[in-house]
Amino acid sequence: MNCCRANCVLAKLNMNFKIRAATTVDCKDISRMIMELAVYEKMPDEVKISREELERDGFCQNPFFQCFVAEVPDENKPKEGFAIVGYALYFSIYSTWTGRSMHLEDLYVMPQFRGFGIGKGLLTAVAKVAKEKQCARLQLNVLDWNTPSRDFYAAKGAEDLTANEGWHLIRFQGQNLDALAIETPKN
Amino acid sequence: MDFSIRAANVEDCKDVARMNLDLAAYENVPEQCVPHKFCDLDLEQDGFSKNPFFQCLIAEVPQQHKSKDGYTSIGFALYFYSYSAWKGRSIYMEDLYVMPEFRGQGVGKALLSKVAQRGLASGCNMLNFTVLHANQSSVDLYLRRGGLDLTSDVGYHYMAFEEDALQQLART
Repeated sequence: MNCCRANCVLAKLNMNFKIRAATTVDCKDISRMIMELAVYEKMPDEVKISREELERDGFCQNPFFQCFVAEVPDENKPKEGFAIVGYALYFSIYSTWTGRSMHLEDLYVMPQFRGFGIGKGLLTAVAKVAKEKQCARLQLNVLDWNTPSRDFYAAKGAEDLTANEGWHLIRFQGQNLDALAIETPKN
Repeated sequence: MDFSIRAANVEDCKDVARMNLDLAAYENVPEQCVPHKFCDLDLEQDGFSKNPFFQCLIAEVPQQHKSKDGYTSIGFALYFYSYSAWKGRSIYMEDLYVMPEFRGQGVGKALLSKVAQRGLASGCNMLNFTVLHANQSSVDLYLRRGGLDLTSDVGYHYMAFEEDALQQLART
């Protein structure tokens, strides 16, 4: 093994990072990474939310979501200079079968920081909160072609309820949601 | 048929628990799989405390139209506020159920409409829920009314870490 490869291997082994709760200041980075994830999922045009909305909805008195971020020290920052290299956005939900539950809306690690356990660290942090809040279930949605993510979750014990039980995700939005809200006359 | 939709109160929990079991049976989930501990008391605690985990609507008929078993609460919709990292505030409808003898009379439609209204009034941009693919009549109803099947159309799979798997995940 030559010196260059040896240094690269050592660098990979020495990635320091920490997982912490997000603050309002992190919303700029979270917003950036939301878009990176949307690009990865081939749907960048679907992102309509602004950084200001994230700040308002995540850090008000009754926040709509919680967030963990993964932070690296100066010596591990990418060339663009970001210290925040991953995030997990989640919120409490309810199941009439299992009671209090948690939904993992997004889990993302910048490509050059994958393979160091950051994704696992973020997922574990969310799972710990779920257990502290006495949640019986942690759920998420993942695209069928996103094999690395599906394998990642399956390897950690997640069940694919679409494949196994036939659950489909239905959405109403935009004009269709407006139309649904209009009362129809009773029969 | 005369019916009304109203917000549930704590006294409705017994009826919601009853209809929840009926819905589980309809979805072919055996009664023993709906946790024994989950009853009207859990609903009272989780839905009617200072920071409720969910909201609930009841469909009610007057006494003269009560069910063959004597119930006037004949349908419910249970929902809560959620979030989309792409669109912001959202509403998630966990359950929508109408007792079989009252179907086909616009009760389900009215419950769904009211959930949508509540969502829009709270600044929500989307309404999400899951439905069993085998429940073709429900899937068709939602698609006819403008719903998108994101599993069929876009490929979203719904995954979950259940009790033991979640316990294991939190320990690592």
